[in-house]
Amino acid sequence: MKRVEAIIRPFKLDGVRAALSEIGVHGMTIYDIRGHGRQKGHKEIYRGQEYEIDLLPKVKLETVVTDERVEEVVDTIVTTARTGRIGDGKVFVCPTEGAVRIRNHETGEDAL
Amino acid sequence: MPDSISLAMRGRDLKKKRFFTDNNGLAYVSARSGEVDRIVARSFSDCFPAAEKGDIAAVAVGGYGRSQLFPHSDVDLLILFSDDRLVAQSEGALARLLAGLWDAKLRVSHSVRTPKDCTTITPENAELSISLLDSRFLAGDRELFGLLHGQQLPQFFLREQSALLRNLVELSQARHQRHGKTIYHLEPDIKECPGGLRDFHLACWISQLVNVTQDHVPLSEEHLPDKDGTEWMQAKRFLFSVRCYLHYFVGRDNNNLTFEMQDRVSRSGLAKPFPKAHRTEDWMRDYFRHVRAVSRLATQMMEVAAVSRRTLLTRVRDRSSRLSHVYFPVSRGRIYLRHSQALKDRPELVFELFRWVARHGLPLAAETERRIKEALPGIETHARSRADVWPMLAAILKLRHAYRALTAMHETGVLFALFPEFKLIDCLVIRDFYHRYTVDEHVFRAVRHIHELREGKDENLRDYGSLLVELEHPERLFFAVLFHDVGKGVPGPDHSQRSIELTDRAMERIGMEAAGRETVRFLIRHHLTMSAFMRGRDVSDPETIHELADIVGTIDRLKALTLVTFADIRALNPLAMTPWRRELLWQLYVATYNRLTGDVEDLRIRPEASQTYLAPPASADERKDVDEFLEGFPERYLRTRTPEKIRSHFNLSRRLAEQDSAVSVTENGSFYEVAVITKDRPNLFASLCGGLAAFGVSIEKAEAFSNAYGLVLDTFIVVDSNHRLDVSPDASLQLARTLRKVAEDRVEVKDLLQAREPVYRTAARTWIKPRVSIDNQTSQRATVIHVTAQDRIGLLYDLARTISSGGYDIEVVLIDTQGRKAMDVFYATGPDGKLAPMEGERLRDEMLAACGVRVSEKAGQAPVRPPAG
Repeated sequence: MKRVEAIIRPFKLDGVRAALSEIGVHGMTIYDIRGHGRQKGHKEIYRGQEYEIDLLPKVKLETVVTDERVEEVVDTIVTTARTGRIGDGKVFVCPTEGAVRIRNHETGEDAL
Repeated sequence: MPDSISLAMRGRDLKKKRFFTDNNGLAYVSARSGEVDRIVARSFSDCFPAAEKGDIAAVAVGGYGRSQLFPHSDVDLLILFSDDRLVAQSEGALARLLAGLWDAKLRVSHSVRTPKDCTTITPENAELSISLLDSRFLAGDRELFGLLHGQQLPQFFLREQSALLRNLVELSQARHQRHGKTIYHLEPDIKECPGGLRDFHLACWISQLVNVTQDHVPLSEEHLPDKDGTEWMQAKRFLFSVRCYLHYFVGRDNNNLTFEMQDRVSRSGLAKPFPKAHRTEDWMRDYFRHVRAVSRLATQMMEVAAVSRRTLLTRVRDRSSRLSHVYFPVSRGRIYLRHSQALKDRPELVFELFRWVARHGLPLAAETERRIKEALPGIETHARSRADVWPMLAAILKLRHAYRALTAMHETGVLFALFPEFKLIDCLVIRDFYHRYTVDEHVFRAVRHIHELREGKDENLRDYGSLLVELEHPERLFFAVLFHDVGKGVPGPDHSQRSIELTDRAMERIGMEAAGRETVRFLIRHHLTMSAFMRGRDVSDPETIHELADIVGTIDRLKALTLVTFADIRALNPLAMTPWRRELLWQLYVATYNRLTGDVEDLRIRPEASQTYLAPPASADERKDVDEFLEGFPERYLRTRTPEKIRSHFNLSRRLAEQDSAVSVTENGSFYEVAVITKDRPNLFASLCGGLAAFGVSIEKAEAFSNAYGLVLDTFIVVDSNHRLDVSPDASLQLARTLRKVAEDRVEVKDLLQAREPVYRTAARTWIKPRVSIDNQTSQRATVIHVTAQDRIGLLYDLARTISSGGYDIEVVLIDTQGRKAMDVFYATGPDGKLAPMEGERLRDEMLAACGVRVSEKAGQAPVRPPAG
């Protein structure tokens, strides 16, 4: 099992969720987050005054999938969340040791 | 199965069956209490056979003492011993008693005390003391209980009356605070929320405490006001039945009226007394009506407690701090009527009354609320007959405590008298994931959240606060916020459109001006637009920003819409406006602001479109003149000015037919607006700045525009710290005369400045290091000069004169001030357009010098502070 973490632009969330749902990934966790990548935010001028926006609002989406589905899920996220401009975000894939469904104590991939 | 258990089970089933037949919660709690009495008495006799002679008694206290046991209520039991020594001797019997009662499925909450314990108050046992107000004999030594109940407790309550009342009020205020100080929760806790059963008990306890005598503790409802057939009696009956249902449906002592429970209870037999209630929402409206009655009762009794607790010191303090109003005296922090018939005789006073509330944030006394309700027919007739309700309402909406005034108008029915449309959202429950409050409470909270911005308490919200201060007509914003969801009261898909239709009727009725109506319509129509952009659009995409800029059109509308969006989100629930959303909304605002103002000098107004921007609109005869006046002004002028303001500038320009310049000075709250129109000439802007500095006013904002015919319009927002303009009506005329002389070059500015009286200002706590940057990228035609410096009177004059005396034209000026920080932007051109790099460098040094920095300091040495003033 792998945990797929995607940091994407907020307005891309609905599209990514729909695309993941289409390929059968329904369970996920969504966070409103702020952060920056290599571009380290940017500067805005407001009323002639420069001010720095160093943390940009983003959305983080997490889902855990079986090893075989990782590539398909990552591709779906990347394709749907991409605009081609700086700030599109990142996808991280992390190993997951196990899973337990709290309701009935199912474990492993059955719990996903 | 022991007898007591089978008795309990049988009795419980019978009572449940009866309750589901007659839905009578009052009868149920009393019957169950009687049944538990019998079980306790029997068990007590079994465990303490000699108790009647043995100085031990079983006493019901709290809810059980009032004979009010709900299906899963705790059974509050006091085991009273005459002496501490007896307690130790009775441990075994006590354990048997409690085990037997638990076996009988009673959730016993017990305490073991002597009369001395019961008549001693400590912070830890204040609630026990309160529970003793409702003590009732069950079994054992009747004499022991009689001594406690007939002598010791009355004397104790009399002695500790003040402390207990204070404690009660403080506990209740803390409980109200935990529940957002409102009754209008979508999923309320019917016991703990304001207006819930606990508030009913609060009212009972206060009435008992203030009416206790040397030998008598009154019964729980003995001294409640207007006992027979009143709204609180109906409310009590209703809430008792609802709580019984909740306990049965959930299977434990749970008092949360969740959406699911609302559906179940409203479909139960309890809906029968309310034949019109066809939907859960309607049933919930009944719920809120009852809760409102309880809340009123509790408030009334808290006033009684306040009177009763008054010490000599508080009486003196009360008298000395009394706010003065000819019709509405304030006493003990509440507003009264000086003449009881005042509102009946003069219904128009109701606006003044609520303006008084909105100014000071004080609640109405119960007596005042009652008088308002009595006068409602007259108030309604009066409001309908007048076409000038709007200015009076606007005055209320703009004041800091408008939220208090609006909720008071709501509670007393005045809001419905003025706006029957508001009945549609009265206590309206709309279920969704984010909303926590009813629709009416949501809009009142939204109004409050905007006013809170003005207070500047939250550092993170300062930017939003600045938008509010800059709005020309904040009252329109507040009105839009008040009505933005009124359409939710009519079924259908697009509530914004329905809100506009309903609001249109209301605005016409109260006589709101046409421009105001247009703004309100716009804000309601688009109150979800910025949220939708935040959620579904790429806010870093210029196309997105372009689209939003086209929708809002002007800066004033952008600011108002940003505030509507902010307040609408924040009023959903206390956690809805996260830092994430706040930042995203602000980025959207800034990007759109920059879009609207970024092309300041390049896009010019074309003549054919001009007349549509005035309010009142240009007549057929005026159109040609309006076109000529506006032609060539940057489009920014239209985006940053309201139609009324453009109309006033045009009217001012017409004076040029008879004179060389025209000046207007208008008060606007805490500042003055100065507009100067004249033919362009070198140094004009700098001279006007000097003229204003010589008069002693501080320039907070300034802008300069010129049209295609060489006409210049310079506008200034000035603050008159010395109050010359405030105190003397002639001062405005004098300022206008001076500025006309300056505009027409009939006076030397330096002479004016030399003649100026010295102005003493408090030294700034922090010194802002001046910065000047020369930017040849932003504009296609002009060099943009950004200046940040410590603000002082005369600074703008010095900067503008430096540019003009270098032989450059100032095309556009954007001046802003935040606290002591001046942020000025000049668009300057030379004979060949933009400034060459060397020219820019030289001008930068000269402007830094004007800010008080020596050129040698550029290398990083500390700047020298210029003298104050």
